[in-house]
Amino acid sequence: MTEGFALPTRFGAQSLGGCYAPETLMQPLLDLEAAFRAASVDPAFLAELRAELRHFVGRPTPLTPAPRLAAKLGLKVLFLKREDLTHTGAHKINNALAQAILARRMGKTEIIAETGAGQHGVATAAACARLGLACTVYMGVTDMARQAPNVARMRLFGAKVMPVEAGQGTLKEAVNEALRAWAGQCDRAHYILGSALGPHPFPTLVRSFQTVIGEEARAQVMDQSGSLPEVVLACAGGGSNGLGLLVPFLGDGLRRVAVEAGGYGTALGEHAARLDGGHMGVLHGCKTLLLQDEHGHTAETASISAGLDYPALGPELAALVLDGQVEVRRASDEEALTGARMLCENEGILPALESSHALALLPALVAEGVATVLLGLSGRGDKDLSTYQARLGI
Amino acid sequence: MSLNPLLPFLMAGDPSLEALPALLAEAKALGLEAIELGLPHSDPIADGPVLQAAAHRAIARGATPRRVLESLAGLSESPDIILFTYLNPLFQMGAERLKQLLAPTPVRALLVVDLPFGEESDLEATLRTAGYPMVPLLAPTTTLGRARQILLDRPDPGPSACFAQRFAYVVARLGVTGTGQGMDREPISRRLEALKGLTERPLAVGFGLSDPQSLSVIRTMGATPVIGSALVQELAEGRSLREALTPRMVDDV
Repeated sequence: MTEGFALPTRFGAQSLGGCYAPETLMQPLLDLEAAFRAASVDPAFLAELRAELRHFVGRPTPLTPAPRLAAKLGLKVLFLKREDLTHTGAHKINNALAQAILARRMGKTEIIAETGAGQHGVATAAACARLGLACTVYMGVTDMARQAPNVARMRLFGAKVMPVEAGQGTLKEAVNEALRAWAGQCDRAHYILGSALGPHPFPTLVRSFQTVIGEEARAQVMDQSGSLPEVVLACAGGGSNGLGLLVPFLGDGLRRVAVEAGGYGTALGEHAARLDGGHMGVLHGCKTLLLQDEHGHTAETASISAGLDYPALGPELAALVLDGQVEVRRASDEEALTGARMLCENEGILPALESSHALALLPALVAEGVATVLLGLSGRGDKDLSTYQARLGI
Repeated sequence: MSLNPLLPFLMAGDPSLEALPALLAEAKALGLEAIELGLPHSDPIADGPVLQAAAHRAIARGATPRRVLESLAGLSESPDIILFTYLNPLFQMGAERLKQLLAPTPVRALLVVDLPFGEESDLEATLRTAGYPMVPLLAPTTTLGRARQILLDRPDPGPSACFAQRFAYVVARLGVTGTGQGMDREPISRRLEALKGLTERPLAVGFGLSDPQSLSVIRTMGATPVIGSALVQELAEGRSLREALTPRMVDDV
């Protein structure tokens, strides 16, 4: 255990997580934990966050019954938790806004963020515009090309988008560069990490700002149907959406399922399914399940969805999986596209490619005899239109 | 104890693994007591563009952690080596295999950039007992209280130990490795004075130092300057180690 932290830094029986950060970032991380702990019990912070989530983000988000898609698939009940209806279009805003308020309380004037699909970048840029903070977002060049509308949105909100050309030009490289930038500016800047990964306290911070999803969903499903579903289902890249939806259901007798990106194949480099191919390792400040080669070098990943295209599963979600609390499944690029099309045609909702991975698992759950599902629709698919057009031939 | 005038950094496998023994022999002939040797990693989050590029070139040429350590086996003409690395390659190798691979090499200490004290206490204790202590890193953000803790947790083996096993690495500025735009002398001087109040150990100062004058200034403060990115860049451009280091080992103030 690192000396000086007050909150648990590790998760599960295998002690995942931790704080594997360069020394320059240790004091900023200690300061961040202290600020987070103070804010968590400060009525003024909590009231401001609650008000912003309601009036700016648009919470609570609806829980939408999806009867036509349910009937088509052979499910009895399907509920969709509509994070796609938040301002900026994905669950990422819950965490970005909360951390931006926290950063302002800490006296930080600049914000750094990384982004994969661009949803965290857009959410952070919007939160910074709202709070009057300068914002720089690091984004891989491959992701900038496939999520071009989000690059334009970030720039409209006044953020500087820094292209990262290293490696595959995806989320992993963007996190590398954001960590480096933070080390250079940690006296004045806060790094808003968008997923439940990184060195302590980030995984805990991000999860605690995202569990609003599952807390709302649990109350809404009880209100609308009077009972809990058999399965709660979410996609998982780093794990902020997965933990946000699933953690509030941990005490319940139901199946909690996270869906990883199956990409286009099962060999290393063809997917981002950490449970199948991953081994314990350390990347970006935490110990977790990691896709890597025998030398401890991070492996390449592949997914149609930029938001799931990341070689490590967040440490808390990985711990829940290894300890049997959450099941992990995978969906391929093709299955995700099919899932997206089914939701569009049967319910008039365009899902993000990330969320489509959760939709893609529904036929398999039906085949296992599942009748009732609550699915986290983490984001909307407007940003993915060019991919849908190219891949679905529309 | 006389001041070690310079602590150079080389990236293993860049320009090539085959060239490494000759480079180390040349470093020894130049009178260098110790050298930092980078183990190339896929995701060097504390390194700037020059060392990132060098690491990726080295990996592309097959400089795996095992091959790097094997290429050091049995070298007698070498300064003491401080192996500069990220945790994951060591973690995947495991303590036992790592000890076996290190045993026949001139490696005398480990500098694991992303391993704060206390995170892997067992691994660290095993390696220290085997003769491979972790170099304490002190950043500009490290409070004196935390610095005291770090220096206790990664203890001074005493004046009879070699520089590689004794020194503390003082990070000169915020940010990642790489050449900066000149050096801010005053804060570094104050920082070194404060740290000398905490420890008798030799101090090395790195990050952003490249020109002979900056290196001299660090020596006048009673510390050993580290030269990394600028050297790696010059070697990649074909300069010899002697050409690159000679002007940097003499005082020019």
